[in-house]
Amino acid sequence: MNQPVIVVEGLRKVYGDVVAVAGLDFEVEAGTILGLLGPNGAGKTTTIEILTTLRRADAGRATIAGFDVGRQPELVRRVIGLAGQAAAVDDRLTARENLDLFARLYKLPAPERRARVDELIERFDLGGFADRLVATYSGGQRRRLDVVAALIARPPAIFLDEPTTGLDPRSRLELWREIRAMADEGAAVVLTTQYLEEADRLADDIVIIDRGEVVARGAADELKKDLGRDVLVVHVSDPADLPRAAELAGDGADVATDAGHRMLTVQLGDGPPEALAVLRRLSDAGIPVEDFQLRRPTLDDVFLTHTEVRR
Amino acid sequence: MSAVDLPFEPPSGVRGALIDVWTMARRDLIRTMRQPEYLSFSVVMGVFFLVLFELVFGGVIAAGAGVDYDQYLVPGVLVITAVTGALQTGNTLAVDLQYGADKRFRSLPMSRMAVLAGRTVADTIRNAVAVGLVAAVGYAFGFRFTSAGSAVAALALTVGIGYAFSWINAAIAAKVRSAELVGMLSMFWLFPLMFGSNLFTPTVAMPAWVKAFADNQPISVVATAVRALANGSDPGLSVVGSGAWIVGLLVVFVPLSVRLYRRA
Ligand SMILES: Nc1ncnc2c1ncn2[C@@H]1O[C@H](COP(=O)(O)OP(=O)(O)OP(=O)(O)O)[C@@H](O)[C@H]1O
Ligand SMILES: [Mg+2]
Repeated sequence: MNQPVIVVEGLRKVYGDVVAVAGLDFEVEAGTILGLLGPNGAGKTTTIEILTTLRRADAGRATIAGFDVGRQPELVRRVIGLAGQAAAVDDRLTARENLDLFARLYKLPAPERRARVDELIERFDLGGFADRLVATYSGGQRRRLDVVAALIARPPAIFLDEPTTGLDPRSRLELWREIRAMADEGAAVVLTTQYLEEADRLADDIVIIDRGEVVARGAADELKKDLGRDVLVVHVSDPADLPRAAELAGDGADVATDAGHRMLTVQLGDGPPEALAVLRRLSDAGIPVEDFQLRRPTLDDVFLTHTEVRR
Repeated sequence: MSAVDLPFEPPSGVRGALIDVWTMARRDLIRTMRQPEYLSFSVVMGVFFLVLFELVFGGVIAAGAGVDYDQYLVPGVLVITAVTGALQTGNTLAVDLQYGADKRFRSLPMSRMAVLAGRTVADTIRNAVAVGLVAAVGYAFGFRFTSAGSAVAALALTVGIGYAFSWINAAIAAKVRSAELVGMLSMFWLFPLMFGSNLFTPTVAMPAWVKAFADNQPISVVATAVRALANGSDPGLSVVGSGAWIVGLLVVFVPLSVRLYRRA
């Protein structure tokens, strides 16, 4: 069992009468990713800023690699890397110069500095544009540089605030791979996101917050089970097929039909494999299917479920 | 968990801070090389004032007071070049503070003060080049220093007051954090200093209270010292006064800037 690198206990921050963070606890072990998931204003950025010494908590305690963020900020800054919500690379420098700047500020010794900059450019495939001014980059290239810059000093703890916001699906996938690689190299990563899918794909543990409060938490898999089930929606060509299709789809309780829309809705116990099985049965029975869709539970569903539970 | 072994022991204290200041200044200078218009702005401004006032006042003053107007005007223009060049500090710093860059700097194991000091150092190096170029243009107009030593001393005072003004701008930027506002505010504090001064004309004809201000405010005092050094005449208290203004402004505005910067 690993020792946790990041330990957060009872963290609390109030702005006037807005409770931005209302008693947050979590731990992140080396080599794992914690996904901090929540809608706008949930308190994600505030949490990241407290943990990276940019703000002081009103109550609670947090340590990074054993250093207390409130009392030993100088030491904490040596063991963290931050990619904040707003891009923080210099437009009028190249990627290489930006990375070199941060390496110098972390005081990496000169030979290591050069080697590390080259290594990061190579590994994260920035070579195509590393010597061009950042001002000429696409949003995705800039964001990648921003995230990579957090790694320059191989910090044991990495904080990424909505790293993939504004990226196209391909850039997002690439960045996910890169974030996963950071953890595989042994870093403890805290990542905030508004997308359930992102937390699901990346995070080992997920904490969902809303208005500063934890509304759900757990390993990605546990949480998903808790979230409710995937839904398969099938449109058939002929409404007359619906009763038979419903019968084939499964036992009555989890199937609903809507003749007006020629639509069959199936609550799945077992996600995609069961969806495939249902579609295969329809196809084997010769029922023409016009269209189908697998709907995953969304963040909204999670919030709705959990706010209901709380009331 | 006990603290991890830190990978290496970086230079700390004053040495670490100096490294940070130079790193930040270096970053700024790289950008200047790439966008020389930053440098040219204050040079053009200086040359503009030089030509304008030569044409407007040159004949009048030379005839009236028996002063050689080149020897009178060029020192004033050098000081203008330095103090307007210092506006750059406020501008670029405000931009950094407005956007995400500053958050990253604050999360790094670097000296807080270096974010500001790096800026003022880079702007001062840039300023020294600009002041040198404007002095060269002054030479073309007939301006002369009596000795190399006096030239060095005069340029040092000019660049020195520019450095002190960089810190005034840094304090304003740290307070308001908006490039537009920093620019607008400079109209209210720098313009009165530039025009309520002896830079362009002697202050003899001014009303007594304006004259008292114009004679003793930092820009005039430095211009007077530069003139005396250029002409080889008795500087009176102006050289000592210039040094006192530079040190005094730094003593007030360096800690003030740092405090304002830390606060946010
Ligand atoms: N400096 C501040 N002063 C007052 N209120 C603040 C301040 N910073 C944040 N807040 C408030 O605290 C709450 C949490 O904000 P925070 O930025 O942490 O949310 P977030 O989860 O990062 O949201 P987003 O997804 O929009 O980035 C919000 O209600 C916000 O308005
Ligand atoms: Mg945020």
